[in-house]
Amino acid sequence: MEFTREKVRAELLALFRNHAQAGAEVTEASHLVGDLGIDSLGVMEVIADIEDAFKMSIPDDALRDVDTVGSVMRSIETRLQKAGRLQG
Amino acid sequence: MSSAHEPRTVAQAIEDAASSTKTGYRFVDEQSGAEPFFTHGGIERASARFGGALQALGLKKGDRVALILPDNADFVFAFLGAVRAGIIPVPIYPPTGLGKLAGYLENTLHIVERSGAKVLVTSSEIKLMLGTIAAKAPALQKVIAVEPVRTAKEELKPAKVELDDVCFLQFTSGSTSRPKGVTLTHRNMAANVRAIMQLGLGVRDSVDSGVSWLPLYHDMGLIGFVIAPIYHKNTVTFLPPLLFLKRPARWLDAILRHRGTISFGPNFAYALCVKRIKEPEMQGLDLSSWRVAGCGAEPIRAENLRAFATKFESVGFSEKAFVCCYGMAESTLAISFSRLGTGVNVDVVEGEKLWSERRAEPIAVESEAESERAAPIVQCGSAFPEHDIQVFAPDDDESKTPLGEREVGEIRLRGPSVMQGYWNETELSTRAFAGGWLKTGDLGYLASGAVHICGRSKEVIIVNGRNYYPQDLEWEAGGVQGVRKGNVIAFGTMKPQGDRERVVLVFETQVNGDEALHALKGEVRKAVQQGIGLTIDDVVGVKVGVLPKTSSGKLQRAKARELYETGELYIRSSARDVDRLDTVKELAKSQLGYFRTAIFGSKGEE
Repeated sequence: MEFTREKVRAELLALFRNHAQAGAEVTEASHLVGDLGIDSLGVMEVIADIEDAFKMSIPDDALRDVDTVGSVMRSIETRLQKAGRLQG
Repeated sequence: MSSAHEPRTVAQAIEDAASSTKTGYRFVDEQSGAEPFFTHGGIERASARFGGALQALGLKKGDRVALILPDNADFVFAFLGAVRAGIIPVPIYPPTGLGKLAGYLENTLHIVERSGAKVLVTSSEIKLMLGTIAAKAPALQKVIAVEPVRTAKEELKPAKVELDDVCFLQFTSGSTSRPKGVTLTHRNMAANVRAIMQLGLGVRDSVDSGVSWLPLYHDMGLIGFVIAPIYHKNTVTFLPPLLFLKRPARWLDAILRHRGTISFGPNFAYALCVKRIKEPEMQGLDLSSWRVAGCGAEPIRAENLRAFATKFESVGFSEKAFVCCYGMAESTLAISFSRLGTGVNVDVVEGEKLWSERRAEPIAVESEAESERAAPIVQCGSAFPEHDIQVFAPDDDESKTPLGEREVGEIRLRGPSVMQGYWNETELSTRAFAGGWLKTGDLGYLASGAVHICGRSKEVIIVNGRNYYPQDLEWEAGGVQGVRKGNVIAFGTMKPQGDRERVVLVFETQVNGDEALHALKGEVRKAVQQGIGLTIDDVVGVKVGVLPKTSSGKLQRAKARELYETGELYIRSSARDVDRLDTVKELAKSQLGYFRTAIFGSKGEE
């Protein structure tokens, strides 16, 4: 399953909108905890959804330097690229 | 049987178990899908190599070694290796991400300094994140990456480990918000392991099989599933904690595949399974082997456990498997367990009398009106043999007069599981006891000898098994422009429904106007969430002078909570702040909210 950058972006924003607290605007700059109100437990639920949506497995240590929607996006793009699944 | 009562050190137990070729530890690796199994003989050898490697670094008996090891197998072998060498391990939790590194480093530095650890062992990845920590902790000589140690071939030089030697330091957050090192000896371990395994759970040596996703830097995972099973040669399957949080079904799947008979989790873990495990994931599940489903480490809500039992009954789970546990690090791990095979027992008492008379009067719930007044309290069993539990008035500094049956006060404990004190904290150690009894800080009562916990006299907020201190939240909020510094109160409150405490933060401000106030609340929420990593459920801005204070000007947290729960806080503040009044009204009506108000509100501040 291959993805374009636009598709990654759209999927992720939709996914985070599902998990964000009511009324929060989701952008690349959104801080997961500070802006979206997703706590550490909620983040794990998001990760499970990401793994399902992108058919990939995300190791625990990949999460340690992630704090915004944008940083999650870049991490996923890197993973897709390494696996040869990112177009363009 | 008499030999079974002879206390043994953890080091001795490791050697005694080594002859067992069929039992041991299995470590589930999420990425590779592998599940390497180490027999107890293999555990003995792997821990000896680790202990030898620590000795080769110059560590001697009595020295401390800090461990930040996210990999379960690394942690287990390093921990047991240190213990066998007489070196005192100091487990520290790994960084959790989400941009909270500064706070994490500060906490880690505090633990390293306070414990006086000479060496810190961690993964090479975390070692990079720790940066210059060694420069800031004078006693810390080396920060070592664990990877090369895994293949080290050092031999363990024999070290004489005795029952009264310190086994390890369990750092736990206290009311001062700085972690304190609970000092536990091998004698403490032997006493508590006997209480848990033989007296509490009736564990069958080499037969019962544990499954655990619990973090190993926390007492329930470490003592319950690493140390205790060695004494009884039980097989344990370990899952990474984050794997459970990501996919709760994996916990139950491991119980199925390895025919687990004993597994524990905090209240939230059972709630998480109810919420997150979907019908398709239950296909083929069979939980009939699970005879002990322990629940502890945070307040137990009977309805969460009942919901779990209802959901998983069709796949063989029995509600009778629940064992409701009360414990704390200062008592090694366990204080009391509900009786095996009886499930969740709730004592239904009259909420109003708890408040006005501090008495737990049982009532039969027959009509609607009675259920409105009823407060359900989960029963956590009686003291283990050789241990005493009594209830005292919180201000009974000498523990002179135990309260009577069903009288509410502070639960206090004594016996061989109780710690000697906190490492390097003379004053805090003294204050932890009253007349020889450990002050648990928990409010409750005894009925027919069984412990019932009503709440905490400490103001700690527990969310998903983690402790948060109001002072920390208040400090973060106080740094936001527009918030009156020093005039912020945070507290936890039980919601009428749901599986956790609601976190509320109230601040005073001179900011006026709906829009400006709304923006300021957003800033406060963001600052606290970013700084602490905790989602606040309700942020409330009030006018200057609204927050309750003592005559000496000290903020009254318990009083603020009471005002919030009854909705009065909003009456005191202006109408525009009433954006969550509905939930507050709901809360005020709820039994638990009312009950907590009663207990905490009448007690006042410290």
